[in-house]
Amino acid sequence: MAITIYSATGCIRCKIVMQFLNESGLTFQEHDSLGEGREAFRAFYKSNRQKICRGPDGVEFPIFCDGGIILQGLPMVVAHLIAGSALEGFFKHGLLHGQWVDGIHVSGGDPAHGEKFLDVLILLKKQMLKLQIDTNGVNAHLLEQVIKRGLADRVIMEVKGPLELYDSLLQQLNDPEEIKRSIALVSQCNDYYFYSTISPIIREKGDLEQFSYITPEEIAEAAHLIKEATGDNKQPYRLRNFDPRAAEDKRLKEAEALTKNELFKYRTMARKHQFKTEILKI
Amino acid sequence: MTYPSVYPTGATVYLPERCWSGYTIFQARELGALLIDMNGREVRLWKGFHGFPNRLFPGGYVLGHSGERNNKYGMQDYRDLIQVDWEGNIVWKFNEYEYIEDPGEEPQWMARVHHDYQREGNPVGYYVPGMIPKTDGGNTLMLGHKKITCKEISDKPLLDDTIYEVTWDGDLVWEWVCSEHFEELGFREDAKNILSRDPNMRPAGGGMGDWMHLNSMSTLGPNKWYDAGDNRFHPDNIITDGRETNIIFIISKETGQVVWKVGPNYDETPEQIALGWIIGQHHAHMIPRGLPGEGNILVFDNGGWAGYGAPNPGSPTGAKNALRDYSRVLEFDPVTLKIIWQYTPAEAGFVHPTDSNRFYSPFISSAQRLPNGNTLIAEGGGGRIIEVTADHQLVWEYISPYWGKQFKMNLVYRAYRVPYEWVPQLDQPQETAIPAIDVTTFRVPGAAPSGAEAEVRVEGTIPCQPSTALCVVSDTDGTD
Repeated sequence: MAITIYSATGCIRCKIVMQFLNESGLTFQEHDSLGEGREAFRAFYKSNRQKICRGPDGVEFPIFCDGGIILQGLPMVVAHLIAGSALEGFFKHGLLHGQWVDGIHVSGGDPAHGEKFLDVLILLKKQMLKLQIDTNGVNAHLLEQVIKRGLADRVIMEVKGPLELYDSLLQQLNDPEEIKRSIALVSQCNDYYFYSTISPIIREKGDLEQFSYITPEEIAEAAHLIKEATGDNKQPYRLRNFDPRAAEDKRLKEAEALTKNELFKYRTMARKHQFKTEILKI
Repeated sequence: MTYPSVYPTGATVYLPERCWSGYTIFQARELGALLIDMNGREVRLWKGFHGFPNRLFPGGYVLGHSGERNNKYGMQDYRDLIQVDWEGNIVWKFNEYEYIEDPGEEPQWMARVHHDYQREGNPVGYYVPGMIPKTDGGNTLMLGHKKITCKEISDKPLLDDTIYEVTWDGDLVWEWVCSEHFEELGFREDAKNILSRDPNMRPAGGGMGDWMHLNSMSTLGPNKWYDAGDNRFHPDNIITDGRETNIIFIISKETGQVVWKVGPNYDETPEQIALGWIIGQHHAHMIPRGLPGEGNILVFDNGGWAGYGAPNPGSPTGAKNALRDYSRVLEFDPVTLKIIWQYTPAEAGFVHPTDSNRFYSPFISSAQRLPNGNTLIAEGGGGRIIEVTADHQLVWEYISPYWGKQFKMNLVYRAYRVPYEWVPQLDQPQETAIPAIDVTTFRVPGAAPSGAEAEVRVEGTIPCQPSTALCVVSDTDGTD
């Protein structure tokens, strides 16, 4: 199918994608959405707005369309061009600009395609971009490769909770040792931090499903997990408030967000094991 | 500020019949928490116990700190807030605000508390009839520090002020961070410009801008304004002031937003102009219910140098661009800004402006309203604590005899008067009047007595003019 690239005037990331297409021998049509392609982009946006994200700084470019698939942002487009749908889950829309690229989730995809995932990161690094890698502890082996090959400029790990809640929070079976290994790996990076989201959890009681927020005591256990895995109680550990509006699980959208003051109890408990715990500003 | 090389220390004036007598507690420089009676008798010293400030609560409990963070890495960061009993035993302590690892120092938790704190039960931490600070429970509000970066203010590292609340058990339950409310403080563009370039940089920790320098913090408590429906003055709301910015403001305890303020500008309304430019102020608080003047704001308006704004001859860059070489104690109505009572060089009996700097402390200092309408004032820079009546008579004076070895001043950050019954461990002391000495005849040993030994008349001389025309204009010009 014919490829169309919607770009923005002066957008380096757009140029990287177009250079990759040229080097791969793929033909495409470019519309500069701020220049001559303004009307074309306007028409495209109007009929596809539900597939195009607007961040706080507006629409991120480049936008790739081959008639069937619409992809947005450098990492997602490059991943698709390198491996098609095999890398789904590894890349999401990012928020960072300039030399930093985010939205790279080492835990989000199928590790069987790890080498392809690494190829995308290598390509991005060759463009002198800085990569921010996210992990929740899953795919520790792949994370190790990312770090070992110098592909991560910053690593952010979400410690979902204490190990006994991991399966329920990720809704999959997890290997506790793998989570610990990831924590240890992350702590070896130059630029990193850990965080936990103070979110509601679906707890099963018999046949019943009940929602309740993760407790301060459970966050204390998560902080202890970091201490156990790193051997250190001064790790950069942050607590993030849950935003029901952004919940992926529809059942959680009705939950009431905690107030800022309610988070302090969590920080106090976490600091019993991680002295540097802070509440993340959103 | 015009001190001779020799002058008395200790109590120098005491008129018992006009005083609200009790004990006075203050931090004697580099010595400890010192409790004195009205004759200056040192009835108890909690040696080595720091106080920023010290306070005494009912039962003979004293609050203060075990020490300060190494000044190489922190500025005015006190390690903890501690309550000790009469014997100096620790009965309560909080330090778990931030875990600090300074080079060459033992890693430790620190409260980073500075300048002020308040215990539940009493909004201002001094004697108010019927408002007893808790001594065996209750929450404590504390002024704290945090090192931050905030590009909206400056690209330099900043020493930010925080207010936080902890329970008796040490749980932090509320926090307010000053920089998050920068846009609510009303800086003009010229102020923002110099603040951005020079946010009052201090050398500690490799350099950080002490941009705001909050130096007092108290709750409003029950008050007539709130009773009349003005929600800005909710009893739980907190009043604080920024020494470097000349701002006194009230924040909503519920939302954290600034709901009332005076400053940083005092030239935008007739009411502000009448109030006058408040500079480098300390200890701004609302006089609590039950004391004369309740509901008014009482503040020690230091003068000196402070503020950010347009350059002027006294401030070539616009940093610390407000200047005044005398102090004022102001009591003003927070709604009309009308001055209700004041103690300035004029009320102290000094010719203005030629002698005004005799009532002047360009830093620290405090003011406490007493139940009989008197005001206890710490003119801190000179270590002078005075009690003045509503009609401005000086009825008690004390000069601290304790000069620091590290910092060679006898400064008194704050002083608090407490009733005798708050110290049940002591019998009420004997009160002996100290009439003011006539300094025109007072001589030190070896000095000649006053009066000329021989006198001659010079023909043709006439008496002095009743109105003294000096090289500079003073408030005696044109008077008969």
